[in-house]
Amino acid sequence: MAVKNKKFLFGLKVDRQLDGDKMNREFLDKVIAEGGEGAAIAACMQCGTCSGGCTNIDLMDMSPRTLVLMVQRGEWEKVLKSNALWLCTSCYICTSRCPRGVRPADVIEAVKAIGIRQGVENDSTKFNQIFVELVEKRGILFEPELMQKYGGLQAMLAQAKLGIQLTLKGKMSPLPAKIKDPKKFSEALEKVGKQ
Amino acid sequence: MKYSYYPGCSLHTTAKEFDMSTKVVMTELGIELKELHDWSCCGGSVAAGVSHDVGMAMAARNVALAQKENLDLLASCSGCYNKSARALKALDTEAEKERITAILSEMGISVSDCNIRVRNVVDVLANDLDISPHIKKPLTGLKVACYYGCLLTRPADITGWDSPVFPMSMDKLAQACGAEVVDFRSKTKCCGGPILVSKQEVAFELTKKLLDEAKSLGADCIVLACPLCSTNLELRQPDIEKNYNVSYNLPILYITEIIGLALGIKPGKLGLNKHIVSPKTVLNKLGF
Ligand code: SF4
Ligand code: SF4
Repeated sequence: MAVKNKKFLFGLKVDRQLDGDKMNREFLDKVIAEGGEGAAIAACMQCGTCSGGCTNIDLMDMSPRTLVLMVQRGEWEKVLKSNALWLCTSCYICTSRCPRGVRPADVIEAVKAIGIRQGVENDSTKFNQIFVELVEKRGILFEPELMQKYGGLQAMLAQAKLGIQLTLKGKMSPLPAKIKDPKKFSEALEKVGKQ
Repeated sequence: MKYSYYPGCSLHTTAKEFDMSTKVVMTELGIELKELHDWSCCGGSVAAGVSHDVGMAMAARNVALAQKENLDLLASCSGCYNKSARALKALDTEAEKERITAILSEMGISVSDCNIRVRNVVDVLANDLDISPHIKKPLTGLKVACYYGCLLTRPADITGWDSPVFPMSMDKLAQACGAEVVDFRSKTKCCGGPILVSKQEVAFELTKKLLDEAKSLGADCIVLACPLCSTNLELRQPDIEKNYNVSYNLPILYITEIIGLALGIKPGKLGLNKHIVSPKTVLNKLGF
């Protein structure tokens, strides 16, 4: 296959780092368009430094290094199926160690958001969505409601002992706090979410 | 010095002792804190993973409110600090500024050009002040493991005041208080906070490793600056003990609590009676 459009900058290849023929800008661009700072994906040289420091690499079926490569190649289905998205704790070790300025944590964050909009559903997406909905509702999170909406009565009972201890210590109010104008707040944010 | 103080959701609830100790310690050191009027949740570690713009707008709202006050924004919680600093950086980026400003204006909040900074309480205590002359009750004999976790110093282009992989600020603060600091190798490993609910066993495993190391180093307590880390390390400590059939009984204290003790402030005023894992062993050792 003919290699077209190689980009060079003072002799240093800045794009199509590893397997240029297989690069697929479409998915890469999608991640970049989500916003944030996952924009340096193309600079990844597949050194694996990110994976070497990753918090949860032992349990991931796709390392952060491979995930970046799959985004480069446009292997979107594989990326979305990966458990790495939901085992990532956004701890930024990968991002702090990457010698090329690629930000795997931000790439993962963007992929998650796109995945949720494409209908990916699991325990993590459920939790993250409820969390955001509840913050949107009052501007301030009310944890007992989060637990109840996420895990139902069972989760509430499992946490009852801790809840009582916290209440006795004055660390949990039975009533949620809210900002002054939650309506305007939630309307502005809900609009964005639907775009 | 005066700051706009952003407590975030946790410091008014589960991390009340962090709120109390931050306030008394800062006052004692001559720093004025004015709680940010009508603050909202920063979106934590999960909001941007649902929608980047929603996450950024949530955090940027507080930055815009602090701009209005013309005061630097000070957060104690590592998460609130990190997300606010990230939002400030985004507001400085052409492409993002436009999107965020549009959402904020729908909320009736305007972004001004006033240049403020977002600071964390550890950064201010370690880099702007010298606490040594204020130490009244040195924490002699106390062995502490300083735990930084993830968002306090990472990524460096958002934080930048200490190493993202081997920071020393809290270690130095604890030393200035007269405590002995152990060489805690896991100090920036993640505790699994953001996946605590959705992947509980995994988070427990990560937290257990931290407790194990601190215990094996003979630490009397772990010192930290994040309510989410504290939820894992302290509030879930009994669950972890039960799950793995181990016993830690390891007090988890906020950095401002131990500084407060060294400044001679009464434990009750710092909120030390509000812990679920009792800090009695620590207080006994210090002769309280
Ligand atoms: S550390 Fe950076 S350059 Fe190396 S594989 Fe990871 S993302 Fe790519
Ligand atoms: S941010 Fe995610 S991918 Fe990166 S090191 Fe942490 S857990 Fe691994």
